[in-house]
Amino acid sequence: MPDEILKKAIATALKRGGDFADVFVENRITRNLLLEEGKFKSAVFGLTRGAGVRVIDGDKTGYAYSDELTEEKILRAAEVASYIATSGRKIQPAGLREQKRPSFITVKIPLQEVVDARRMEIMKRAHEAALSYDPRIKMASVDYYDEIRDRLIANSEGVLLRSSLPLIFFIIQTLAVGNNTSHLGRERLSRHSGIEMFEELPPEKAAREAAREAVAMLEAREAPAGKMDVVIQNGWGGVLVHEAVGHPLEADNISRQTGAFVGKLGQKVAADIFTMVDDGSLPNFRGTTDFDDEGTQMKRNVLIENGVLVKYLTDILSARQLKMERTGNGRRESFRYYPIPRMTNTFIEKGKDKPEDIVASTRNGLYVQSLSGGSVNPTTGVFNFTCREAYLIENGQKTVPVRGATLIGNCLDIITRIDAVGNDLDFGPGICGKGQSAEVTAGQPTVRIRGITVGGTKQRG
Amino acid sequence: MDYRAIAEQVIKICRKKGADLAEAYLVSGRELSLEVRNGQVESIQEASSYGLGLRVISGQRLGFAYVNDFRTESLEETVNRALNFARILTADENNVLPDDPGLTEVKGLYDPGLAAIPMEKKLALAREVESLALKVQGISKSSGASYGESETEIVLASSLGLLKSYKSSGCGFGVGVIAEKGEQKSSGYESCQRRFFSDLKPPAEIASRAAEQALMMLDPRPVKTQRAAVILDPDVAYAILGGIIQAINGERVLQGASFLGQKLGQKIASELITIIDDGTLEKGLASAPFDGEGVPTQKRLVVDKGVLKGFLYNTYAARRAGVKSTGNASRGGFDRLPGIGPHNFYIAAGEAKPEDIIAATDRGVLVKEITGYGINPVNGNFSGGAAGLWIENGKIAFPVKGITIAGTADDMLNGIDLVGNDLDLNRSLTAPTLRLKSLQIGGE
Repeated sequence: MPDEILKKAIATALKRGGDFADVFVENRITRNLLLEEGKFKSAVFGLTRGAGVRVIDGDKTGYAYSDELTEEKILRAAEVASYIATSGRKIQPAGLREQKRPSFITVKIPLQEVVDARRMEIMKRAHEAALSYDPRIKMASVDYYDEIRDRLIANSEGVLLRSSLPLIFFIIQTLAVGNNTSHLGRERLSRHSGIEMFEELPPEKAAREAAREAVAMLEAREAPAGKMDVVIQNGWGGVLVHEAVGHPLEADNISRQTGAFVGKLGQKVAADIFTMVDDGSLPNFRGTTDFDDEGTQMKRNVLIENGVLVKYLTDILSARQLKMERTGNGRRESFRYYPIPRMTNTFIEKGKDKPEDIVASTRNGLYVQSLSGGSVNPTTGVFNFTCREAYLIENGQKTVPVRGATLIGNCLDIITRIDAVGNDLDFGPGICGKGQSAEVTAGQPTVRIRGITVGGTKQRG
Repeated sequence: MDYRAIAEQVIKICRKKGADLAEAYLVSGRELSLEVRNGQVESIQEASSYGLGLRVISGQRLGFAYVNDFRTESLEETVNRALNFARILTADENNVLPDDPGLTEVKGLYDPGLAAIPMEKKLALAREVESLALKVQGISKSSGASYGESETEIVLASSLGLLKSYKSSGCGFGVGVIAEKGEQKSSGYESCQRRFFSDLKPPAEIASRAAEQALMMLDPRPVKTQRAAVILDPDVAYAILGGIIQAINGERVLQGASFLGQKLGQKIASELITIIDDGTLEKGLASAPFDGEGVPTQKRLVVDKGVLKGFLYNTYAARRAGVKSTGNASRGGFDRLPGIGPHNFYIAAGEAKPEDIIAATDRGVLVKEITGYGINPVNGNFSGGAAGLWIENGKIAFPVKGITIAGTADDMLNGIDLVGNDLDLNRSLTAPTLRLKSLQIGGE
């Protein structure tokens, strides 16, 4: 895309006025292979490209996009976006200057150089490892996805940035049948990385983990119902704070004065041992990029420090509205969407407790080994999660598995009830939805929450 | 652009390059969405777009490629990619394409006047619904009102001679509000979606429903963990229907991953329950003349008075199961392979008035909101978060928040003892008010 077209597009976008304009050009190549029931069932190759033009005028956003990367169509999108400006304010766009941002993503073996046979070999290894784990594993499904996403961002502040990022997403599901029930186990691996990801994260190990979950849960009994102490194992369990705390801290809820954390900056909102971070610069993580989809540098942002709320997650618009710093959280699914504040890699910082001591000091309760996912109402802060794998804690011991129960609560309440934080911080990859989808990781050490409502089927005595 | 010509051109390229079978699925359209907050425009997004998904079968191997660049060299490249990909896969005799040239006649899918309605009128609708909702006493804030519309044309061409297309439209508006009382915050949201602009409900009705939802949940009280009756409002139909839809997915059944897989012809629900999948409903939001791979749609009985009558199939899964496609191939977009999914999917109306269902309930909860994944399609277990109105002695007593309800599909479906007469077929996934005799409720 010649700079000349970008300059013209920014000028056209701002011709009716406005405070800011940007052009986002994207080119995405995807590969998706499915190995299921012993067959390579399908292979999908995708090529999509397009450009979007945005104008911000005060609190207002105008946006238009085009699938065609011709000068005519991009200027047409700029024209459509320009109609939003009615304030009468005009700015002079700064001259474009190509910039470099430090990258947090290193690649050894680029996806472009990997033959499909190698991808299929990795899938077969996982499939085989899952089926040979236990005779009760009746089916395995291995879904391999990778993409190369090229972005170009140019804006009225003179920023011009280009990047090309690889991403791998590997999902293995295992069906266990027995004991008059069935359970689908799952494990996911994902990084912005070349194919060398699988050297550090062996596919067989992920497959065995998915199979182990499926088989273990065949023995699941009824889960208890009502309020109890819950210990959540380290890793993807961090999705609980991603939903319950992270979403309400996204600054669009704050600038609209509707979020659960409005007016709480600088206040004590959580237990002293609770520190929560969003960090889009963790090397090669799924939520990491070299810069966000508005060109802002990625960095570590401490959101809640020792229980005190210190920062919201902003994009350019909400940072302007709230007169706060840009945190690098302006993200978009593709050129068909304008950016909004989103999380990247979000986690509870590690504490000092040993995980085994946390369980041992919990008299009775629920041990959640992994969560499926959940959601939150960012206004009221009411959240819910579904357990994938959970066990009873009886007299300080993890005992029998119980069926997938829902956990519910309120974000403002729950973070005051965290009374133990382990020293075993770990992460898991996932997909976050907020009208558009985003690649994220969630992380946490083992934590204990006192008194959370568990949606089981069994009345406790 | 002549999209039919492009689809045919791609099929020609596939033939030339030696594909046994080929199918092009082309989606084009335009969208408009706008958001208003406190009377001011917050965002306007407008765009047209298109894309093409290409399925090729070569030696019973299936390859797929998609592209949104229709220049000839890009189309050629897409065909090459799909064919190259097909070569490396496992041959499967069930990889075939449908050849039925028919179209089901479905009325009212496209509003030809939608695009010409002035932007001012659409903005005014969003502004009005917001301002009416804010006027309701007790409502303190707006979380925004919106209007959205889209027009889509689907063109499907295949090497078996199919060339089908249809246009559809959709529009809708909604508003979110917040009621505050001391430290309490309660949110309400209501929207309306239709095929035709002139069928949209009056903004006053949407505004008052959004406000009512926020207000009725103020001053909630805790309830004890207990078993009690659970009445599901039509707004939470998904909690029951979502898991059933996945469990009757014909491919999932073949894989042994469905709790209903062995239940065909058996009683799976109370005899008050009849479930219908209808791709032919006039103005239906999930109606279409053909499914995601060109098979004509139909109206089918899925559950008849509690007895499971059939599963949903696309062409691949049907052939594998030795049956005919039921016209349930779904497409998430031009960039997806055909999956399996329902059309307008609903529980047929019963006879009870919703207010009589409440009056007939000694103790229980009228559920207005359910969170979570619904019934697990693999094993039938259910657990969800819930909020609603507590009922005592046949009367609404107080709101409850932060409770859970849980059970198994068997408990839930067979435990339905009252079915309301309030079915709203303007939604694509819908049920009347349902009473479940007794479920476990988690509270204090």
